[in-house]
Amino acid sequence: MAQLICLIDASKCIGCRACQVACKQWNQLPAEATTFEGSYENPPRFSAQTWMKVVYREHEEDGNVVFLMSKQGCMHCTDAACMQACPTGALYRTEFGTVNVDTVKCIGCNYCVAACPFNVIGFDRLTNKAQKCTFCYDRLNAGLQPACANACPTGSIQFGDYRELIDQAQDRVDELKAAGKTNATMYGLDEMDGTAMLYVLADKPEKYGLPVDPQVSLQTRIWSALFKPFRVLVIVAVAFGLWVNRSHSKKIEQAKSEAK
Amino acid sequence: MQLTRRSFLKLTGATAAAATLASVGLNKASASTIDPLRIKYTKEYTTICTFCGVGCGVVCHVRDGVIVNAEGDPDHPINEGTLCSKGSSHYNISYIYDEKGKPKPNPNRLTHVLYRAPGSSSYEEKDWDWALDTIARRIKDTRDQNYVESVNVDGRQVTVNRTEAISWLGSAFCTDEENYLFHKMARAMGVINIDHCARL
Repeated sequence: MAQLICLIDASKCIGCRACQVACKQWNQLPAEATTFEGSYENPPRFSAQTWMKVVYREHEEDGNVVFLMSKQGCMHCTDAACMQACPTGALYRTEFGTVNVDTVKCIGCNYCVAACPFNVIGFDRLTNKAQKCTFCYDRLNAGLQPACANACPTGSIQFGDYRELIDQAQDRVDELKAAGKTNATMYGLDEMDGTAMLYVLADKPEKYGLPVDPQVSLQTRIWSALFKPFRVLVIVAVAFGLWVNRSHSKKIEQAKSEAK
Repeated sequence: MQLTRRSFLKLTGATAAAATLASVGLNKASASTIDPLRIKYTKEYTTICTFCGVGCGVVCHVRDGVIVNAEGDPDHPINEGTLCSKGSSHYNISYIYDEKGKPKPNPNRLTHVLYRAPGSSSYEEKDWDWALDTIARRIKDTRDQNYVESVNVDGRQVTVNRTEAISWLGSAFCTDEENYLFHKMARAMGVINIDHCARL
C-alpha cells in the first residue's frame, strides 16, 4: 500500500475537468480529436494521450436525474494486475508505492492493457509502448503534489498521508450517510488489496462506472505464477535450439563439400 | 563476411535472446525513462489568470526567458494553488503539443497588433507605436468634441466636466492594481460610463 495517496471525494466533484487539463498540461500530452458520443465525458476512453479523465454517469432516481462525476485513472493497485501480466518487468513499483511504466523495458505486447480491471492503460501506437498515469512521479520526487490534486478547485482530489486520509474518508462517508446518501461508500480500501486512489462515493461504485469487485483475472494469475518463471527456460531453449541448428547445418555443409 | 538468410535469422535470434536475458531479473527502472522535473532551474513569476473575474493567482516557471510551465499559486489567497480547466491550460496559450508531445509555438497566439479600419472587412498588421498613438489621438479628439462642462438642472447650471461619448471597459485580464489605474485614468478624462468584464 502506498504511503502517499490521493483521496478522491466524488461527492465534491463538480466535473470542471481542471484535473484532466492539468494532467495533460504537466505530462505534455497532446489533445485528441473526438466526436460527441452522447455524454459530457470526453475523450470517451483512456489512451496513451489521456491518462486520466472525469467520468460522467447519469441515472434516474425517483423521477429525478442524478448526475455523478468522478476523476478516474490508474488506481496504482497494491495487487496490480498489470505488473503480474507484464512479461518484461516494465511495470514496476516505485519507492512511493505507485506503479509506473518503464518505457525502455516495455516491448509493446499489450498484456497489461488487457489485464487491467479498470481499463486505464493506454497504448501508444506511434512508439509501441504502454502509457498510463505515473502519479506524477517527477513531482513527488521534488516534494510537489500530483498535478491533478494541485489543480482541483473543490478539494475533491486531496493528496497526503495514507493514514490521515483514510480517517478523513471514513468521516466523510459517515457525513454523507447522515445526510441521506445511504449508499455512500469508500472504494479502493480493499479493492485490489488497496489502491493509491482512495474514493469516497456518494452512491454505489457501479453508478460511477467503477467495477464492483475488481479482481486480477485467473488467466493473469496463472500466467504470472506458472508461465512467467519459465521465461528463462524459454530463452535457454531458444539458445540451445539455435546452437543445435548451427552445428547441424555445419555438418550438412561439410557433408556437401565432401560430396563435391 | 557473406550475410545469408540463415545467418541473418540466427543473428537476430541471438540478439533478441540476449536482450531478453538482460531484462530478466532486473527490476529497477532504467534511469533514462524518468524525465527530469520540468520546472528544474526555472525562475518563478507570479501573475493573475487572464480568463475570468475571480482573479486566481498563477505561477509561471520561466527558464532562459521561455515559459516552461504555469500552475496555480499556492500562496495566493483566492485560489490557494488550484485552477479551473481554463486556468490549468495557461501554458498552452504560448505552446501547444504536436502528436509526439513536443511543445511548439501556438499558431493562434496573437503576437502583433491587428487593425481593422472602420468599414473595412479585413485586418491589417500594425506596430504598437502606431496603435497606441492612434488610440490616444482618437480618445483625445472624441473627448474634446463631446466635452460637457455644465448642464442645466431645474434652471440651475451645474458643473459636471464629463464626456458621454466614450465608454470604458476594464478587464479581467488585468490585476486589481492595473484596473484601479485604468479607473483613475478614465475618471480623470471625464468618462462616466465605466464597466468591467468580470462576469462571475
